[in-house]
Amino acid sequence: MFRVRLHGRGGQGIKTASQILGSAAFFSGFQAQDFPLYGAERRGAPIVAFTRINRQNILERGPILVPDILLIGDESLLEDIQAAPLCGADNFTAIFINSSRLPEKLQENYSLSTLPHVLDITSLCVKFLDNGSSTSAAIAAVGARLLGQIEFPALKEAVELELNAQGINSDLRKKNIDLAEEVFQLLTPMEVKERPEKNITSSKLISSEQKPVVLAAPIILEPGNMALRKTGNWRLDRPEIDYEHCNNCLICYARCPDGVIGIKTDGSPEIDYDHCKGCLICAQECPGHFIKTVKESGSWE
Amino acid sequence: MGIDSSKRLMLTGNKAAAWGARLAQVEYVPAFPITPQTEIVETLAKWFADGTLKGKFTNMDSEHSMFMAAGAGAATGVRVFTASSSQGILHGMESIYTIAGWRTPMVVVNVSRALATPITLEPDHNDIMSVRDCGFIQLHAETCQEIFDFILIGYKVAEDPFVCLPVLVNMDGFYLSFTREPVLIPNEQKIKKFLPEFKTSQPVFKASQPMARASAVFGGSTYTYFKIQQDLANRQAEEVFLKTSKEFEKHFGRFYDVVEKFNMEGAEFVFVMSNSFSTKGKDAVLKLRRQGIKAGLLKLRLFRPFPATAIADALCGHDNVAIIDQNLAPGMGGITYPEIVASLYDRKNRPQNILSVIGGLGGKDITEGDFLSIIEKLKSSETKQPFYLFGKKDEENFERLQHLAISNKEAFQS
Repeated sequence: MFRVRLHGRGGQGIKTASQILGSAAFFSGFQAQDFPLYGAERRGAPIVAFTRINRQNILERGPILVPDILLIGDESLLEDIQAAPLCGADNFTAIFINSSRLPEKLQENYSLSTLPHVLDITSLCVKFLDNGSSTSAAIAAVGARLLGQIEFPALKEAVELELNAQGINSDLRKKNIDLAEEVFQLLTPMEVKERPEKNITSSKLISSEQKPVVLAAPIILEPGNMALRKTGNWRLDRPEIDYEHCNNCLICYARCPDGVIGIKTDGSPEIDYDHCKGCLICAQECPGHFIKTVKESGSWE
Repeated sequence: MGIDSSKRLMLTGNKAAAWGARLAQVEYVPAFPITPQTEIVETLAKWFADGTLKGKFTNMDSEHSMFMAAGAGAATGVRVFTASSSQGILHGMESIYTIAGWRTPMVVVNVSRALATPITLEPDHNDIMSVRDCGFIQLHAETCQEIFDFILIGYKVAEDPFVCLPVLVNMDGFYLSFTREPVLIPNEQKIKKFLPEFKTSQPVFKASQPMARASAVFGGSTYTYFKIQQDLANRQAEEVFLKTSKEFEKHFGRFYDVVEKFNMEGAEFVFVMSNSFSTKGKDAVLKLRRQGIKAGLLKLRLFRPFPATAIADALCGHDNVAIIDQNLAPGMGGITYPEIVASLYDRKNRPQNILSVIGGLGGKDITEGDFLSIIEKLKSSETKQPFYLFGKKDEENFERLQHLAISNKEAFQS
């Protein structure tokens, strides 16, 4: 069994990547299973998807807690304690990171137990698709290639099938297939280590005690605690106010769906980057186009 | 309008329910009428309008908003009452589960009426059984007196700091809701001593003090925690009910156990029943005893939490038991039958012969003859279950009606 866990952000195609990988494995004669996990959150929020690939029937379901392969499509997730993409990884886990940095530097910086596989997927997506955040075909190609069990024609068929199902036109599908082929050629299959099966040990269950109702009911006495959840790292793009031209009309302040644009004492708007999710509605709404959008890059250099 | 000393009044079940709410000094009643419950909310509306009751009576636009308003009202720390029935319970179902999770105390009366389709106004228990698993406490009443008493006891149980759950008091439509019989209404001061003004034991909604009563959770652990707490609180209510019942007895002289045993001594044949038809069962037991048949009856009273131990204790040692369900889960049978059988499973001297009986659906009577037929069935070697109380006469009546509905049968048989 190969257990692949994919991490990315809403909008980057991580769910689709898990499906392309699932279909490519299926077309290669494997049993396959793919599954995304997300709630009510939106574009930019951390999401996780899973693909299981096996010669025999798959008797597992749900999240993969101990992955054989980790595909991290967005480097900024490594610093997000809630996304925790390295959770459950051990010495048997092969790690791939979409990054422009050197594997050794990434290993040192994130204290990885193994040297990660690294490729700058974002730049390749810009080159082939003119869009750095449409990573589904490229991430799926990484998974297929690293596994070494899937040949390119099966991957190609899967990219075609899954992107067609998403309503992607044939021209863009062709570009995605070219991108996948490029990724396939840039990487070499990794050495797959067999994970020894462990004996089952029993769960440590407790006997629940009745609690006073204040602790027993889903009561929230300190509402407004969303501010504690910093969502600034959801941004793929950052809105920046050009204060030289801004005339303080405050339309951005009124339109921000998350209420993260405040008003400074001089009457000018100010973006709270700890919570701005980068939806860019402010940039769209600014009548003078005085809010520019800047690509977010990794948080350390 | 106030009653200054204890009185015995001829009251319908609906009026007894309204009196219960009145003397519990309810402060908020969100209401929506439905036959056969309407008389309850009409009576309360009148008392709120003429100043007998202080507080707020609100006509809602549906049972869905009515139950949500009841939960929200209770979350402000006031004593809340509401009532519904049948299709209204189904329409309010989403809100019913939701407010159970809020852990807000209140008393709700359900006037049992069978569920569509076919539509009817007459009683059976599929409506009250549909909210069996929602987390509410359930008390099933046999008499108009029980309705009144259970509302007072219900508030005390619901508001207990270890419970904090809605209590549903159930009565049969028509058979109790529209039936007048004498009900002893104790004087107001006596009731106040038993059930003082509501003092909440938890944080409540207040102006300028934001709080949330529900939250969205993810991942299963948080959800499971709250559900286990709901279960523990509901189970705790059995002990609280007994304690409250003993206190009620001290004040008013009537004691209610979690189940009622009627002529169970030496009973070879036991009928398990609930609600108003238990009265018919008791009458049959007495007549059968006079005929030399040792019959007895176990009446279910506290239905949630399910008093499995008390039920098993009562039934063990009796050879033949018939569980009469006035409800039907198509494809399964009676709804209380498997619960009662499960409660007996680990008992060595459990009854060997247990029959599942379906009767009293949609207001259909259960006759004396039916009870004897059940005993004959228990004695026979035939094992087909469930045993439907549907006879030759019923079939003839039905066919006569069907002939009117489908007189030209040939037209459909092409």
